[in-house]
Amino acid sequence: MDDRRVNWACRVLAGLVMVFLLAPLVVIVIASFTPTALITFPPKGFSLKWYANIFHASTHFINGLVNSLKLGLIATGVDVFLGVFAALAVCRYDFKGKNVLLNYFTSPMYVPSVAFAFVLLQVYSQIGGIPGMARLLIGHLVIILPYIVRNTVSVLHVFDWTLEDAATSLGAAPAQVFFKITLPLAKPGVLAGALLAFLYSFDEVALSSLLSTPKFVTLPIRIMNYMELTFDPTLAAISTLLILASLILIVLMEKLVGLDMFVK
Amino acid sequence: MATLELKSLVKRFGDFTAVDGMDLQVAQGEMIALLGGSGCGKTTTLRMIAGFTEPTGGTILVDGEDVGKIPPYKRNIGIFFQNYALFPHMTVFENVAFGLKLQKCSKEETAHRVGEILSLVKLTGLDGRYPRELSGGQQQRVALARALVTRPSILLLDEPLSNLDAKLRVEMQVEIKRIQRELGITTIIVTHDHEEAVSLADRVIVMNQGRIQQIGTPQEIFDHPASPFVADFMGFSTFLHGKAGGAPRGGKRPILCGGRTLWVAQEEAEDLDEGESCLLALRSESMTLVEARWENAFPGRIESMTYKGHTTRLEVSGCFDEPVFPALGEIPGSGVGDEVLVHFPYRKICVYKV
Amino acid sequence: MERRRQAVLLALPAALALLVFFLIPMAYILLRTVRTNGFADFIDFFTDPFYLDILWTTLRVSLISTGLSLALGYPAAYYMARTRSRARKWMMIVILFPFLVSAVVRSYGWMVILGANGLLNQGLLALGIISQPLKILNTETAVIVGMIHLLIPYMILSLVGVLQSIDPNVEYAAYSLGATPAQTFAKVVFPLSLPGILSGCVLVFTMSMTSYVTPKLLGGSKFRMMATMVVQEINVNFDWSAASAVSYILLAVILAVQVVIVLLTSGYMKRMGGGKNG
Repeated sequence: MDDRRVNWACRVLAGLVMVFLLAPLVVIVIASFTPTALITFPPKGFSLKWYANIFHASTHFINGLVNSLKLGLIATGVDVFLGVFAALAVCRYDFKGKNVLLNYFTSPMYVPSVAFAFVLLQVYSQIGGIPGMARLLIGHLVIILPYIVRNTVSVLHVFDWTLEDAATSLGAAPAQVFFKITLPLAKPGVLAGALLAFLYSFDEVALSSLLSTPKFVTLPIRIMNYMELTFDPTLAAISTLLILASLILIVLMEKLVGLDMFVK
Repeated sequence: MATLELKSLVKRFGDFTAVDGMDLQVAQGEMIALLGGSGCGKTTTLRMIAGFTEPTGGTILVDGEDVGKIPPYKRNIGIFFQNYALFPHMTVFENVAFGLKLQKCSKEETAHRVGEILSLVKLTGLDGRYPRELSGGQQQRVALARALVTRPSILLLDEPLSNLDAKLRVEMQVEIKRIQRELGITTIIVTHDHEEAVSLADRVIVMNQGRIQQIGTPQEIFDHPASPFVADFMGFSTFLHGKAGGAPRGGKRPILCGGRTLWVAQEEAEDLDEGESCLLALRSESMTLVEARWENAFPGRIESMTYKGHTTRLEVSGCFDEPVFPALGEIPGSGVGDEVLVHFPYRKICVYKV
Repeated sequence: MERRRQAVLLALPAALALLVFFLIPMAYILLRTVRTNGFADFIDFFTDPFYLDILWTTLRVSLISTGLSLALGYPAAYYMARTRSRARKWMMIVILFPFLVSAVVRSYGWMVILGANGLLNQGLLALGIISQPLKILNTETAVIVGMIHLLIPYMILSLVGVLQSIDPNVEYAAYSLGATPAQTFAKVVFPLSLPGILSGCVLVFTMSMTSYVTPKLLGGSKFRMMATMVVQEINVNFDWSAASAVSYILLAVILAVQVVIVLLTSGYMKRMGGGKNG
């Protein structure tokens, strides 16, 4: 199929959508280097002072970053285990109620995170004494599990299970079959799922708004709090760093599994 | 190299009986074909021998030892999968070396044995390729090499030729036979294709609905199917209903068929009483067109002709109540609608009680 | 049986985690809410114009965002599915890139652009098109712009998958039978892409119904949608019973949408040959 088949109006619209998608990100990156507190276009000069400001203790950005990373990595790490096993259970065996089980594993997706956060808040207020990080971790474990299950299932769904039989007949014990055959072949789905899950956790706001304690605050909340008090390009600087991190992740995913893994 | 014995092997899935009391003995180095349509229980039998499926009843003995309690990864049985099941994330070398590495073979030993087996299947030089970079025939050889390299006691082949085109089939047929002879390995082939079974195996087992219908040499099964079912499966084309006639004469027995008398070999019809119903079966290639009214030659009308390359297949009606389907080596002089005489050689007619 | 035991063992950790941390709390709190207050909070919600207005705003913003995402996303997805050039890869990167960036950061970008002193107003003033800065930030328009930016990648990814799976020969077949490009699109491509349109729309609609960051940052303090309302009831008004009514109604709307879609599509998908996986 060649490009001629797609008419020009379609192409122009596609181009405009791309511009629309990139615009705020480009604006942020440029704004982060302006010397003035008011962001103007074109910028009046060049400065890195807002980047220096990120590390100023009063912003709490670094503390928030550390908390968000901890939370995201632990939640993703645990859920990769739970989710990959759950996906295997659903895909590898034939039993009645497979679909019910799969829907059960992905059910947190259908619940608004605010509603779930509020439920947890009420439970915590009854139990009491749960530390700040655990309050968020429990919530994150639940809401990111569907991403890992779904992406792993999408690969295992079309997995050729005779490969496992072949490995078994050649003398591989169940654990060896899993680590040498099944897991390497399911890797793209697991990685894509883990990435989406981690980002969901890292960027999550609704749960954190309701459940976090003053001692444990995540980066997105720190940024939002800062925004309410001071609307200066420090925000652009921290945002630029986050944008850069996403860009690195994209390149990494391209290299590791290919971006088509994200096409539904 | 081992002997294999199945003793009243049964497998049920819920209400469905996939394998229904199967008894079989396979000698050391023998090549056996399990032949049958889909759902006949041949694949389930294979999976039970491999250990992937647990039998509901009965025992599987390898070299006289019950292997029921041995997990599949300790059975040392080589399997060739219908879809090859090559590991897509491994090169040819890694695929073939997979089993050896699990056996903790040394690096040199592994390299040596992989090289040896790859040359046996004529794939030397392709060790660095990935499965997707190989042709269908090459992939198949890798699968065979991978199944053989660990020197399994028994080799199971699941539809080994079904995914290949006609020319490759013949080539691989010869190849598989050569390798099997060379290694002297006890082999079981599962197939739905009677030509594949007959051309590869020392003995053929025809299965239907979980039961063995017939065990015999390819020749026996091809020429003397034990039942109309086997005959149909082995490619017999013409089936005629008849009634047994009187006493035999000169080693032949008369059968009344559509108002005509057809002579069959006496030993085929020995257990029929006079007047008893029977079914006659013939291969297309057994029938010929003749000029004169010999014994067992009857007139009929050509209803259709299908040119098939090396033969031409006719549908002829009027010889009996049912149509007959002779296949001729050369294109006949007559055309559709013409009257012809079809000859039914009495030694080629199989007779079954109904 | 051995395999059965394996399946149970594999499924158990995740199943238990969800049971303890998700299902039981949800059910327990719902029961407790109903038992202590009855359905009074829910009745209040539906009789109070203040709450009804919030529900209506949420629905309106979600419907507009979904419609515009589809209208803008379809051409992009179609182009991606049909192009052979390297453009496809670059578009994929451009779509996934913001997709992986935090909603807070993306909303911030729109604040910089749409604010009273923002880049858009600066530009328009400099060009003399307007004499007074336009008020866009802290309006519904800003929320919709941010929402589309947030959700259009989901729409495009859903559409590309389905459009790619349409055999191009089907289109050639239509041409060979005398259909114009427009007819081919309307009668062949569009109907075949319906599953993708539907799944994309459901996804985008659901996410915008439940979104929190975008309305909070781009809508300002007076703009309320269901999710921001829940947080406000808890953190500002300390009215937990109102919060629980709002959050359960939001949940009910989402589940109702899912059920309706499943009922609507099951027949169609079956006739199309089982539909898509997963």
